[in-house]
Parts: sequence; structure tokens; C-alpha cells
Amino acid sequence: MILDWLLDGMVALLILAAALWTLAAPTPFAAVIGFVGFGLLASLAWVRLAAVDVALTEAAVGAGATGVILLQSAVRLRRGAAEVAAATPGRATTLLAGLLAGGLGLGLALAVLALPATVPGPAAEAAARSAEVGLGNLVAAVLMAYRGLDTLLESIVLVFAVLAVWAMGPDRHWGGIPGPRFARQRDGPLALLARWLPPVGIVIGIHIAWVGADAPGGKFQGGTVLAAMWVLAWGAGLVRPPSVADRRVRLVLVAGPLGFLLAGLLGAVLDGSFLAWPAALGKPLLLLVEAAMTLSVAAALALLVVGPPERRA
Amino acid sequence: MTEALTLLATIILGSVAAGLWRVLRGPAPADRLMAAQLLSTGAIAALLLLGAATGDPALLDVALLLALFGAFATVAFVLGARLARQR
Repeated sequence: MILDWLLDGMVALLILAAALWTLAAPTPFAAVIGFVGFGLLASLAWVRLAAVDVALTEAAVGAGATGVILLQSAVRLRRGAAEVAAATPGRATTLLAGLLAGGLGLGLALAVLALPATVPGPAAEAAARSAEVGLGNLVAAVLMAYRGLDTLLESIVLVFAVLAVWAMGPDRHWGGIPGPRFARQRDGPLALLARWLPPVGIVIGIHIAWVGADAPGGKFQGGTVLAAMWVLAWGAGLVRPPSVADRRVRLVLVAGPLGFLLAGLLGAVLDGSFLAWPAALGKPLLLLVEAAMTLSVAAALALLVVGPPERRA
Repeated sequence: MTEALTLLATIILGSVAAGLWRVLRGPAPADRLMAAQLLSTGAIAALLLLGAATGDPALLDVALLLALFGAFATVAFVLGARLARQR
């Protein structure tokens, strides 16, 4: 008991220290390293709160993918140092924003402490009926069945995010190859790692996506791992990003949301309501949509890291 | 046994805290990156111990992800530093 308090207290203190240091970091690079460390510790905190699904998401999407996207932004922003300095808010604005955010955090903490021991809501009923969906993992059941519409919209947001990044490129590069070019590494640590890690990572990514039906995991976490493995091979110059006009890329990007939408319409035809997962086809259809979503998440995150088109195809 | 494993995880996190202090000091980006690596290695060890303490196999998956992204983050930072020098 005391040990649990000690461990949880230490995790909480470390998170606060990482957050403060990230805010006070001297360079953007250092801040991104602090942010990744913060995400790592937050992932530990979610494990301590018995929310392993969230811990996996935090480790993959929070620390991994967001960290790399922030890093890319830091590198790109170096060219516009003057504009960044001009757009950076002054000390008073920063202090005010900090006070507001701190007040909001404090209010949320007090609200959580004031919650009754048993929270009213449909959680108990959802838990009792999750077997009907054919998913042993309650989080997956909620995401795919009870709140399917949220998950569908979330998957569509990813497509829009990629479109927004592509739209950042100048008109003359539209239809070209996105992102910076990396020289092909023939030997050295990067070449070795880029050959050695992806086979392991691809297996782990598919494993995380597959066990999501019955244990913590799922398409977003698994897809992020797959994207990271492609980014690794890209960084070592082993693969090149396809042109943004390539139909196959666009197809993979929308396969998940499109499959989800079609399955939802099938539910409307067979079961009378949109996203109803018809009982006869339930589990296989669900797995098909999850597989397509894993691919689309992987493609979207990889393209977000790569960035807007920068040169002709 | 559960207590012993939790205690070990706590001690490891304590050593991670010392690593975090190293992140604070820097001074070169490489120092900070090494401390972040120590952080991820320590978190993996703590997760494996906690996984054994609670008997939850899902914690092994979290540790696996941290191991993958730890290696990946190092590469990403080196590539980022290389790009920054080119521009």
C-alpha cells in the first residue's frame, strides 16, 4: 500500500518535472526531447491507473508520432526564425495563458476528486453486453460499436490532416514528391537499424492491432508502429515517398474510413440503423474494417511526418 | 513477491529521476538524447517488473512499444539534426 503510494507519487512528480522542464527548455530540440520524456512518463501513469489501452496510445501516438512531427516542425521552422520570433507572444500573454491553463487544470483536478464513488452512466450496461459485439476488449467494443460514429469521424479527420499538410506545399510542387530527400545509407548504424528493426516492428505493429479485439491494443497504436517503421526506412534512404498524386497512396489513405462508412451503410440496410454491425456478419466485418483502418492510420501518420510536396515527381 | 517487484520498480524509477536531472543539465543535444534513452530503458524495466507484479500481460506490450519507439526516437533526432545542419 505504502509502496503503491510511493511509486505513484514518484511518477506524478516526474511528470510534473518533465512538463516544467519542457516549458523552460532552451531550444526547440530540447523541448521536443522533454515532450517525448513527458509522454513516456504519462504512459507509465496510465498503466498505474489500469488504463493500458490509453498507455499504449500515449506511448505510440503521444510520445512516438507526435514527438517526431514536432521535431520535423522544429527543423522546418529554423528557416523562418524571424517570423517565428515576431509571432511568439510576449511575457504577459504567456503568463496569462499559463495562469488560465493552470486554473483549468486545478478545476479539473478538483472536479475529479469530487466525483462520487460510483459514477452514473451506461458503463455497467455496456460492460455486460460487450460480448454481443464479439469483442473481449471493452475499450474496443465502445470505440467500434457504442461510439462507432466518433471513431468514424476520427478516422476521417486523419485524412483531412494529411490534406492540410499537402496544401502547405507551393502550387508548382503539387503532384510532386513530399518531404526532404535522405541519402541512401550503405553502412553504419542507421543502415543496420533500418534493415534490422522494421521486420521486428512490423510483426509487433500487426500484433498490437490484432490483439486489440480482446486485449489492450488496436488499430491506432498498431498503425503508428507500422508508420514508424516506414519512416525509419525512409530516413535511411531505403524507400522513397510516392508522389502525392499517386492513386494507390490516396486509396490506402481512405481505405479505412471508406470501409468503415460502407460497413455502417450495410448495417443501415440489414439492421435498420447506420453503423449497426449486422449480427450475421459482425466479427468478420469488424476485423476487415479494423485491418483497413490500421493501414490507413499507418499511411496517414507516415505522410504527416514526411510533410508537404517539395519537388517534382 | 508483488511488494518486492513494486519496490524494485520504484527504485528503478528513482534512478530514472537521476537521469532526468541529467536531461536538465545538457549541455549538448546528445547528452539530452542519451538521458531520454535512459528514461525509456528505465520505464521498460519498471513496466516489465510491474507486469510480473500484477500478472497483466498487456504491460509487456506497452514495454515492447516503448522499446521500439526508443530506438526510433534516437534515429529521428539524429536525422532531424542532420536536416537542420543542411538548411
